[in-house]
Amino acid sequence: MSNNISRIKINLFIIIFSVTQSCHAQELFSLTEPASNRAAGSIGFRIDNTIMDERNSSRTNYHLIPEVMIGISKKLTVNGSLFFSNRSNAFRGEGGSIYAKYRFLSNDAVQRHFRMAAYGRVSVNNSDIHQEEIDLNGHNTGAEFGLVATKLIQKVAISSTASFVKATDNVNSNKFIYGTTNSKAVNYTLSFGKLMLPTAYSNYRQTNINCMVEILNQVNTGSGKYYMDMAPSIQMIFNSQSRIDVGYRKELASNMIRTAPNGFFIRLEYNFFNVF
Amino acid sequence: MKKLFLFAALVASITLNAQVTKVQLKASGLTCSMCSNAINKALKTLDFVENINADIKTYTFDISFKANSKVDFDKIKKKVEGAGFSITSFTAFVNFNHLVVKNMESVVIDDQSLVFVTTDERLLNGVMAVQLLDKGFVSKKEYKKTNLPALLPGTYHVNI
Repeated sequence: MSNNISRIKINLFIIIFSVTQSCHAQELFSLTEPASNRAAGSIGFRIDNTIMDERNSSRTNYHLIPEVMIGISKKLTVNGSLFFSNRSNAFRGEGGSIYAKYRFLSNDAVQRHFRMAAYGRVSVNNSDIHQEEIDLNGHNTGAEFGLVATKLIQKVAISSTASFVKATDNVNSNKFIYGTTNSKAVNYTLSFGKLMLPTAYSNYRQTNINCMVEILNQVNTGSGKYYMDMAPSIQMIFNSQSRIDVGYRKELASNMIRTAPNGFFIRLEYNFFNVF
Repeated sequence: MKKLFLFAALVASITLNAQVTKVQLKASGLTCSMCSNAINKALKTLDFVENINADIKTYTFDISFKANSKVDFDKIKKKVEGAGFSITSFTAFVNFNHLVVKNMESVVIDDQSLVFVTTDERLLNGVMAVQLLDKGFVSKKEYKKTNLPALLPGTYHVNI
């Protein structure tokens, strides 16, 4: 009997140990991706929740975005996600997205690296267009192409992205109502991450705590309208197996129509290594 | 026939004269335990690997091998790179049994050829640390210093 229990314990330990987190904790940002890729042959599952405060109403917009992430090779990562939200009163599926990132530069040294990657995203969404902001992560149908550079030095990571985004009409005959000239924008971001705990590593099962701050900007190339958001977050990684990010996104400045720019986000993530 | 026999005897003598007992590699481009674990787990999938002893603080991995298995340095390198990182130093601990090596002359150990550079003719005996010098087995900075030409797969420049 006790033998069986110990065997179960060992099995559980193996299962838990085989589910781990890759990459560098301090550059696993909540709202942008670093230039580093997932480990080749790994698969990750993520659930993003955003709880945004809708402007000029008492409503809360809840978006649920499950995502699967596949490390195709050391240089290529492909993610697929689905969009659900309650914005149209009923909670329903609104579309999906495919994201791919190709790392083309990697300069590694002991406890530091500089990496660059190119990425692209194609999204489909069936909800009504309700804001000038172009957001391919749960609001607009369209495509995005960009570059990301990430520098990691000891416990600090700094990352920046710049991308060009083009929105088209949403499906379900939901037109992009702001005109073709206003359907393009440039996104640029700056992210900082710092590993707070542990101060020194002793084993793979220590809890990691990271603090992050991200600055997210968009400028519409047609109208010239912009927004600037700040998103501080705290990330915890338990047993090197499960990751939780909790943060708050806050609009700092904007002159474009936005429905719900402020709110909380919670990310849950699990990774499986050496799957294929 | 006599020649063939002589050749067979020669090959046998070479394989018996040295054996890789352990590899110690240091990875770069990482700063956290999770990255280290990604490498650890990737290395564990190699069929010739017996055990890995990871030092998280120094990003160093001591790899021991299964008995009678063929150790493949390239496969080890590919696993580290697949996990998203680079090797900054790669040392193979080889048990030599009275083997004479000469500069730029290759020695076959476990189906892999080692080309000794900057080595005067010497007799190797006992366990010795052999440093790999090829691209991907040292840091980019180090590699630029030597700029050794790429060899056939399974052949490596080494220093002792």
